[in-house]
Amino acid sequence: MRLFEWRWLAVSSALMAGLAAVVPACAAETRPQYGGTLHVTMLPAPASLDPADATQPDSFARRSLTLLMFETLVTMDPNGRPHAALATSWQALSGSQRWRFRLRRGVKFHDGAALTAENAASSLRAANPSWNVYADADSVVIELDSADPSLLAELAQPRNAIAKRNSDNKPAGTGPFHIADWQPGKKLILGAEEDYWNGRPFLDSIEIEMGKSYRDQMMALQLGNAELVEVAPEQAHRFSLEGDRLASSAPLELLALSFGGDIASPEDKLLREALALSLDRGSVRSVLFQGAGQPAGAVLPNWMSGYGFVFPADADLPRARQMREQVHTIPKWIIGYDSGDPVARLLAERIALNGKDAGLWLQAAPAAAADLHLVRIPLPADPWIALADVTARAGLPAARNKGGSVEDLYAAEQAILTTMRIIPLFHLPASYAVAATVKSWALRSDGSWNLADTWLGSAKP
Amino acid sequence: MRRAVYNSAIPNLILNSVSRTLRSAPGLRFVLKFSFIMFGLALAASAADWSVPEQQLARKIGAVTGPGAVALTIENRSSLGRRDSEIIQNGLRGALEGLGLRFQKTEQATATVTISLSENSTSYVWVAEIRQGAGEVAVVMVSAPRPEGAPAARDSVPLSLRKISLWAQDTPILDVAVLEENATPTHIAVLDPEKVTLYRLQGGKWQQEQALPIVHERPWPRDLRGRLVPAGDHLLDAYLPGLFCASTAGMPLALNCRESDDPWPLVAGTINGGTLSVFPSAGLANGAATVVPQMKAFFAPTRNFFTGALTPGVGKFTNVPKFYSATLLPRDKYTLWLFAATDGAVHMVDGVSDQTARFGWGSDLATVKTQCGAGWQVLASSSGEQAGDSVRAYEFPDRDPVAVSAAVELPGAITALWTEARGDTAVAVVKDRETETYAAFRVAMACSQ
Repeated sequence: MRLFEWRWLAVSSALMAGLAAVVPACAAETRPQYGGTLHVTMLPAPASLDPADATQPDSFARRSLTLLMFETLVTMDPNGRPHAALATSWQALSGSQRWRFRLRRGVKFHDGAALTAENAASSLRAANPSWNVYADADSVVIELDSADPSLLAELAQPRNAIAKRNSDNKPAGTGPFHIADWQPGKKLILGAEEDYWNGRPFLDSIEIEMGKSYRDQMMALQLGNAELVEVAPEQAHRFSLEGDRLASSAPLELLALSFGGDIASPEDKLLREALALSLDRGSVRSVLFQGAGQPAGAVLPNWMSGYGFVFPADADLPRARQMREQVHTIPKWIIGYDSGDPVARLLAERIALNGKDAGLWLQAAPAAAADLHLVRIPLPADPWIALADVTARAGLPAARNKGGSVEDLYAAEQAILTTMRIIPLFHLPASYAVAATVKSWALRSDGSWNLADTWLGSAKP
Repeated sequence: MRRAVYNSAIPNLILNSVSRTLRSAPGLRFVLKFSFIMFGLALAASAADWSVPEQQLARKIGAVTGPGAVALTIENRSSLGRRDSEIIQNGLRGALEGLGLRFQKTEQATATVTISLSENSTSYVWVAEIRQGAGEVAVVMVSAPRPEGAPAARDSVPLSLRKISLWAQDTPILDVAVLEENATPTHIAVLDPEKVTLYRLQGGKWQQEQALPIVHERPWPRDLRGRLVPAGDHLLDAYLPGLFCASTAGMPLALNCRESDDPWPLVAGTINGGTLSVFPSAGLANGAATVVPQMKAFFAPTRNFFTGALTPGVGKFTNVPKFYSATLLPRDKYTLWLFAATDGAVHMVDGVSDQTARFGWGSDLATVKTQCGAGWQVLASSSGEQAGDSVRAYEFPDRDPVAVSAAVELPGAITALWTEARGDTAVAVVKDRETETYAAFRVAMACSQ
């Protein structure tokens, strides 16, 4: 173990030195070049590329992959403004309960079939069984049970990307890249779509290796076997010391404790509150995350809501003990964690220790049958949809956007936290390291990478 | 270095002397008073109006506390500047006082109110946390739209290139051609992926005169490029990848487009018997046209570069490496052509030799003829990935460029740089990476300084 750690340190240091060497060597070109293959590695290993496959967990990597191959009707910019994508115009009727989207003409799926209102409607029905979606001439009409001002933001989610589902387990999209080779959970090769309606991408192809640990990804970057890799939050500060080849999103992954059931009794409520108050998020952030991310008392990060600081994230051990002492019988709680998550075990053990300080009885275990789970929830950039995703994950009634005011949002979030089904811990960013040859790549506001405009240049001036 | 120190005694002395002067000159007093009022109004107009959210939040707080003594704390957690923050704090205090709230220390107050000036990704969010006794904390809040950001500051150096704003829009600009101008442009054409739009300056405002749609079947390549060339016998030609459009000679004005791989002219000018008259006046009152051989190059119809095939060619060279842009420098007995190749190198072709060099430039080059220095300068875009690109002027005594101006910063990535038909200026188009908006500038040498 110790030998491995020294090796790991050596590799990391060499990587830092390598990055330092290449950072000042910006390319001399400002206009994009065509050609080349971009090599990408990622930790998740999706078994399906279908954007609407609910059995596949959401992740920044999955969002990124989806939007390389598929497109949504609309997109949202970082300011929350909608933009035309596969739909060129739209109209909200009946107070945002009925929506009509006119489709872009001349768009084709990668299998050569034309994008029609029928197959767009079919795709949306598959992703949203509760919606009434149908084709009307060159338009798609969506009818909802109730008015939803967030529908455009929802349609911009990768899960609502338009896919033509074929029998070969390779859904066809309309995006800038098509599937050239797909080994589920292992490797994906994408090829540039020559006749893409929004202009052929600059890259000829993208090769994506899946299921790679953060260590393997860093080594691949160092050895020149990958140009774009994920970086664990706790490693990000080391890259940030080296210059601008690291990119991090806003903190939008919620790391939280999720209880399996509702509050069973007043004593149960007191114990959950005691646990929440016992958590020393500041120390965990310093030690485990090396200063990355933000301690969270709220579901939504402050940059998204503007009021996140109202929900305290500081530990209050005396008050936690006071609550604990009101309960006579202390149950033993198992904190379940994902054994594939590099920091989950350490974090769960730390939480158990914090709880023990307050007189609680907790044990960390990589068990599916646990009383509470350590969960990571990648939040969409839209606050209402983020709340809806969290409620869905926690098994709570959906948070509905009725008016869109910030006070409504606060009330909805407070209602979620009052259930004590979720105890927020941290908001973490998605971080990536790129080789100096990768130009014009960008992070979207939802933490996914956008490679449609990316090109490969020279690392030498 | 000493810091500026503000001394209250000196303004008093000044005011005293001013007061004596004003008493002896009533007319001057009126003018000064009027100026002060106008200055104040201008200041107020330049500041954002926060009164609506101030009143909204005050009412919400008042609904919880009722009139009476409160301990008020206001903190700025947002990107608001100190000035705006102070204006808002004063506004909030005034609005709360208007509702009967009095501000006291915590121990003398019935409630404590902590107002946080926060923000989210789309707007400012002002949050009030209200504590009354040992009860629950009440939270009320309002949001206020965030104003658009201020434009970047302009570079200021003694001898420099100047940038003069020509046009800006949310959709891509491929090129802008000035069709008529007096002291400033009065009639322009803006090329975008779907149309050529003509604007005329009327009464100090640009009015859209006509939009001429560009009909095309094939999807445009990414990093779409295009060129507007004013024509002699009709208004203009437009060159796009795989497409050529010409305006009609008569009225009504229209644009006729056809799929075409015809070569693009590398320098705008007047064709006359196989030669090209470029820089007809170079912006000078009596400037003579410079005559060079006509030169065109083929543009890759699905890419963003010229293929390298030239017609008729530079001396023995009818092919050069793929390039993004090209420009020329007339010499006594030949013309030196510079090609910004796709590999980042600059090829200097004089008809006999092709000399390659790496100057660390960007991919866009243009030549201007001015009254400065040697008379001919090459404008080159900068390399790198900073938020904004820049353009700098160089002269070529031989084959090594000498920078002759400071760089002029442009608010975004340069997507086009073409010499204008008048010869002494160039048009630069930039894309703001953050706002995704486009702007066209005329780049001119300020050489008299």
